[in-house]
Amino acid sequence: MSSPYRLPLALPGLRRAEGDGAIAGVCAGIARSLRVDATLVRLTFALLAFAGGAGVAAYAGAWLALATENGPRPSPRRRLLGYAALAVAGAIALRGFGFSDSLIWPATLCGAGILLARGRSGIPVVVGLSLAVLGVIVFVDQNASGNGRDAAFESSAVAIALLLVLGPWAWRLAAERDAERTARIRSQERSEMAARVHDSVLQTLALVQREAGDSRRVAALARRQERELRAWLYPDPRTDGAGLASAMDAAATEVEELHGVPVELVRTGDVPLDDRLEALVLAAREAMANAAQHSGADQISAFVDVGEDEVAIFVRDRGGGFDPEAVAVDAHGIAESIRGRMTRAGGTAALTSSTDGTEVELRLGRHA
Amino acid sequence: MKRRVVLVDDHDLFRAGVRSELGDVVEIVGEAGSVAEAVPLIRELDPDVVLLDVHLPDGGGHAVIAQVAPERPGVRFLALSVSDAAEDVIDVIRAGARGYVTKSISGADLIDAVRRTADGDAVFSPRLAGFVLDAFRSGEAAVDPELDTLTAREREVLQLIARGYRYKEIAARLHLSVKTVETHVSAVLRKLQLSNRHELTRWAAERRLI
Repeated sequence: MSSPYRLPLALPGLRRAEGDGAIAGVCAGIARSLRVDATLVRLTFALLAFAGGAGVAAYAGAWLALATENGPRPSPRRRLLGYAALAVAGAIALRGFGFSDSLIWPATLCGAGILLARGRSGIPVVVGLSLAVLGVIVFVDQNASGNGRDAAFESSAVAIALLLVLGPWAWRLAAERDAERTARIRSQERSEMAARVHDSVLQTLALVQREAGDSRRVAALARRQERELRAWLYPDPRTDGAGLASAMDAAATEVEELHGVPVELVRTGDVPLDDRLEALVLAAREAMANAAQHSGADQISAFVDVGEDEVAIFVRDRGGGFDPEAVAVDAHGIAESIRGRMTRAGGTAALTSSTDGTEVELRLGRHA
Repeated sequence: MKRRVVLVDDHDLFRAGVRSELGDVVEIVGEAGSVAEAVPLIRELDPDVVLLDVHLPDGGGHAVIAQVAPERPGVRFLALSVSDAAEDVIDVIRAGARGYVTKSISGADLIDAVRRTADGDAVFSPRLAGFVLDAFRSGEAAVDPELDTLTAREREVLQLIARGYRYKEIAARLHLSVKTVETHVSAVLRKLQLSNRHELTRWAAERRLI
């Protein structure tokens, strides 16, 4: 949270940069806070030193009033002394430049008021405000001719003083509120994260400890947790949550949970679901469930390939395989849930099985 | 002769697991938990294979490859990760890793992957194959001069890997030798690595991967 421009009088991070400085780091600190070159600031102070020694007084004042980078705030007394030196420096400088006393004293009062109001607590702000108002009134008093002094003039003087004092102060407050807001958002994110971890990961870990004896169950728990966490940490930008990809994710997760066999699902591309694609997902789910129940394999591979013209899904296991002819009679799952479904949707289903395992190949044209 | 392997992973538990799974088959000559530890260690030991976690506390696995590969061209890297994020895959393959497998890989498959990495072959997990297919998919519609399109054969091989086939099974199915299958996979890897950073970023952005 930083703005490229900073109101010079607000200077929120003004510190003496002792390490970088030539004397006490006043110029280096100011330069850093203003984001300008330190030489420029030093030159200004040097020039001011010729104006009746104002630069020297100002430097001494800043030295007294400013804290070092990591050091504590100077004592109130030291600060007050510093501010006084600064005010005197301002007065000397103005005088040195040839301004009349009628301008110098009001300006000095205003300046001291503004410096005081940089603090956050109430009393210095009120005192600072009063000083600034006094400064403006004195200025008006000394410069306006007797006839010109009217109520409107007085009140505009007060308004200017308010603006001078409260402007930087309000600026500072706004900056602090922004910083607080950022911190709050960050802490909200953190607690959301903690809640998520608690609801999912910690619960799963507790379950894992309780069921440590049942390795299949533990693996399934870990697997499910992994999927959940993954989906949360790395949401897939290619899917909108309502397409084929998400439907297959859900189907694979269901099979894993129902039968305790992990499904390694790989997919490319995504298409919006329609009735035919839903039939395809159901057929694929049946194929995965069959593999999980009957193959004896400890893992199932599923690959969803969304091509230009067709969508193909391959479900493969490395189980013992079977003879499709021999089980065809009562294999309702294969005949009806896979073949029948695919045929009705206008697609095809092919099954190959050997002692190396079984693969079901489902294909469906993208345009009916 | 046992392959000499260096393990780079910031999780002690995971390293211990890999060590107990691979310990008898390969020689684990060193372990590191960060980029800063890994770079001098690999330079010194000059192992056959580095098993490299994609996520390390002081930079990604690609940082290790970038610092070591120019001086030790003989060292081969196999990336291991729990992450599915496409950028991670891009980074580590781009840097020159010979393959990418997820940490849920079985011990037997990991041993096989280390052996193949040591022999200079590319190791594609089904997940990586799917990702690469996805990456090249639009490459055939929109002609991208930097990202060469895959040949029909390369595409076929990648699809079979994504379906869970091993190289030997792919070779049998396509009536090729295993060596030819490996050549196709290496060619795909090279096409990915040749394309420059800018182009990769562009295609990833176009495909809404990053």
